[in-house]
Amino acid sequence: MGNGVRLLVVERRGLSAFQATLVFQGGWAEESTAAAGATDLLARTLFAGTWAEDLTRAKTPSPLDALLKQEEGLLESLRLERLRLRRDPGADSQLPALTASLESIQLRMQGLFSASPLSDLYSARGGRQWADATADALVVQTELSQEFFEFWCQTEAQRLRTLQLSRFAQAREAFVADLHGKGLLGLALLRGAALPGHPYGRDLLDYLPSLEALRWSDLRTYARKTLRPDRLTIILIGGLSLESALPVVERYLGSLPEPPDAEEAVLPEIPSDLGDRRVQTTLGTGSQLLVGWRIPSRHHPDHLALRMAVQLLDGGQTGRLQVRMARQRALVSRVRLHLDVPGGRFPGLLVADLNPMEGHSLAEIEAALHGEILRLQQEPISQEEWSRALVQLETEHLQMADVPAVLARSLGLAWAEGGDWRLADLGIQRLRTLAPETVQAAARTWLTPSHRTTVLLDPTPGASNDPVEKELSRVLRALAAARIPDLAQREHLVSEGIRQLRMLSPDERLRTLKLLEAQLPSEKR
Amino acid sequence: MRALFLASLIATFSLQAQQAIQQFVLPNGLRVLHLEDHDRPLVRARLHVTVDPRDTPPGRQGLPRLLLRMLDQAETADLKSEDLARILDESGIQLTQAFDQGGLDWRMVARSRDQDRAMGLLADRLLRSVFLPSVLASQRVACWQEEEGTSAAPKERLKRLLLRDPSWRPTQKSLEAITLQDLLTYRTRVLRPDRAILILHGDLGLEQAKRLVLLSLGSWVVQQPSQGAADTPSLPAAEGPLTIPDSGMGLRIQAVANRPEDPSPEVAALLGLLVPGDPGLFPMRVELDDRRLLATLDSPGGNPGQQSMTLFLERLRVLRGHEFRQLDLDRARSAWLSRRSLESLYPETQMDSALAEALGRGVKDDRLKAVTPEVLNATLRAWLDPANLRIGVVGDPELLKVLVKR
Repeated sequence: MGNGVRLLVVERRGLSAFQATLVFQGGWAEESTAAAGATDLLARTLFAGTWAEDLTRAKTPSPLDALLKQEEGLLESLRLERLRLRRDPGADSQLPALTASLESIQLRMQGLFSASPLSDLYSARGGRQWADATADALVVQTELSQEFFEFWCQTEAQRLRTLQLSRFAQAREAFVADLHGKGLLGLALLRGAALPGHPYGRDLLDYLPSLEALRWSDLRTYARKTLRPDRLTIILIGGLSLESALPVVERYLGSLPEPPDAEEAVLPEIPSDLGDRRVQTTLGTGSQLLVGWRIPSRHHPDHLALRMAVQLLDGGQTGRLQVRMARQRALVSRVRLHLDVPGGRFPGLLVADLNPMEGHSLAEIEAALHGEILRLQQEPISQEEWSRALVQLETEHLQMADVPAVLARSLGLAWAEGGDWRLADLGIQRLRTLAPETVQAAARTWLTPSHRTTVLLDPTPGASNDPVEKELSRVLRALAAARIPDLAQREHLVSEGIRQLRMLSPDERLRTLKLLEAQLPSEKR
Repeated sequence: MRALFLASLIATFSLQAQQAIQQFVLPNGLRVLHLEDHDRPLVRARLHVTVDPRDTPPGRQGLPRLLLRMLDQAETADLKSEDLARILDESGIQLTQAFDQGGLDWRMVARSRDQDRAMGLLADRLLRSVFLPSVLASQRVACWQEEEGTSAAPKERLKRLLLRDPSWRPTQKSLEAITLQDLLTYRTRVLRPDRAILILHGDLGLEQAKRLVLLSLGSWVVQQPSQGAADTPSLPAAEGPLTIPDSGMGLRIQAVANRPEDPSPEVAALLGLLVPGDPGLFPMRVELDDRRLLATLDSPGGNPGQQSMTLFLERLRVLRGHEFRQLDLDRARSAWLSRRSLESLYPETQMDSALAEALGRGVKDDRLKAVTPEVLNATLRAWLDPANLRIGVVGDPELLKVLVKR
């Protein structure tokens, strides 16, 4: 369209509903550190719900605008007051007064919102919308009955023009709570260690103060800058033809104002051969091994070969890692490979994520994993195994095409990450012409120690859900308390003791627990 | 072949805005629903077997899950379990199994050219499996770990534990008590064609579907259980609030309420639209489907736990007393009728709806029209009866101690 919006229509005549996907190129990887979390917050604030009051566009500022500005001011005052009290806990607190003012403003705002349980305009029409921010795109998906197609076009155009973000405060609060709830994850540690200095390696938990300081007007400015028509692709799947859909889309979304030229975000490049990196720490409730190899972006010729390598290693129930590490040697309870972590537009990671079986150490499964990678690089791949992997990928592709929401997302991400929606379909065709030697060559180039980062996670002592381990942790702590005065040394000893005890079989662990308990004074047993 | 069918074509019905569903019954009692869709060369199958807590003898909770695990590891006369996995992978056939309260489910997706092989493998797994006694001990442990969510993140674990109905929840002891004979008896009692419904969707015609089902599952016969009638299940002990310690990660409070016995699917469908959309519930979120209501409140670290718990309980109290009006009801009805068309976007949802209809849990337009605000409000009150709620909390251990004391 004239303003740069791209439209892709997949006609499915039998459908009585349609699935419409908006894909804005440039996800959280393009955020500045000051705007960290803004794309996620837009997904939650701008698109999570569709309310009439967010679609009203007046020439003069509306009462809601005025209240939102007041709310913004009070939220900022509250944040600053909390910071001040943290520095000087004895100072007189303005928090109660500020909170009361905020509640009063929010009450007035609620008076402007509909209190109906079906005030969401899409829900009231039996539809639904969801949105999520990936590293490379903001993806918004809507499903509605066919009769509401024009309503959808009109609503989305109005939403993008108005950018009201009326539920900003609620959405930010829920987002912060979610981030706290997820806590530090092994994968985030791996990304940070493997992709240092690159936005792909960023963990939003480290930027919570920025997120808490992000204001309603900042987010609107960010939305104006990033949700531009020339960065938008629309994918429609349903009983709509291009001829019938185009005029309606053009009338509404094609008339969004063309923005002035913006500078393309320039992201730092990370050499893929940074050297072998290792992180060892305690986290969560179970042991986990994460190995990430820095791999090229989706445009790179080796990318497809690496996709096939993942299928050979972890495809179906007979992938090599599943058979050799889980079934035959019973080393791991779970194994998963992920390609393009966190995205595919820039060089990212191929990640192996494994949990050891009881009685096996992380070192054992790490050695076994590297053995399998070496086999892939050096030993010929049998025709039978190759065909099996190809059939699995073909079936997955068919299934993807069978569900409009999945197909639309796949087409959209192919465009956002690879620059061409056709990649979603071409990939499978090109895989058929790939040779096993190409996969081995790519594995030799990319799955090497110089591209590798390893994260070894032992459970936090006492956090395990295993009752024996909990008891062991308690007994070890009690024993150490009597002998080691230094708290840090004591914790280190307990962690090390638990780590070693995990190498024992369940029976041996129980026996050790009884022996250790016997050393405690009777009142502490 | 047609003569072999007890009722060749019992009915043809259709969900609104969808293709027709054809139904037939095999002589062994297996009901088959067929949804034809030739857009892509794929066939999906879902086999649902209804189970009841009364099928499980006292002290043997966990039988359905352990049965699924043992079937997954089982061999047939010709195939070892790894051979079965290899054949599935060679054809790109995906076969998954699950147990949810109310039924055992096998779901299968295959390219249409592999439909014979796929259905044959499903039949092998169901009818010709031989349990391996050597894996029973390890499967008991794996089953318990899965049940307890020992490797899951604390918040995921809380949800998983709350969603499990206490009457189905196994303990380590009940799993250890299950013998191979218990499993065989249970299989005979439960895996019966007259308890099963098979739904086929995709690139196969009706005649093809009949041939396929007859060849693969036609030999499935009802075997009388070796023991007498079903025993009465043991009743679970009353539970206090579930607490899961998780340092420094904020606080999550969740409550689950199973749907009360009496409400119709229509009332549940309308409440499923009205309750989650209620703006007055913030910051609590509510999900509601035809089985249960799940309420969640997340509070960032540092917020007083007692304050969050008070807010959570207050929101539940307000929700329980909510009075939906005729206007709300009309809007929800209209939204629900439009939402049905979205089913056409998801083959699996079409199959779910067909199953619900066959089990008598489908929403009927005439009954939908008959729902009144009084019925809706009374159902919500019964659903949120405090005696029906299971509450759980994940949070800092010290905070949990304070909350539990109160």
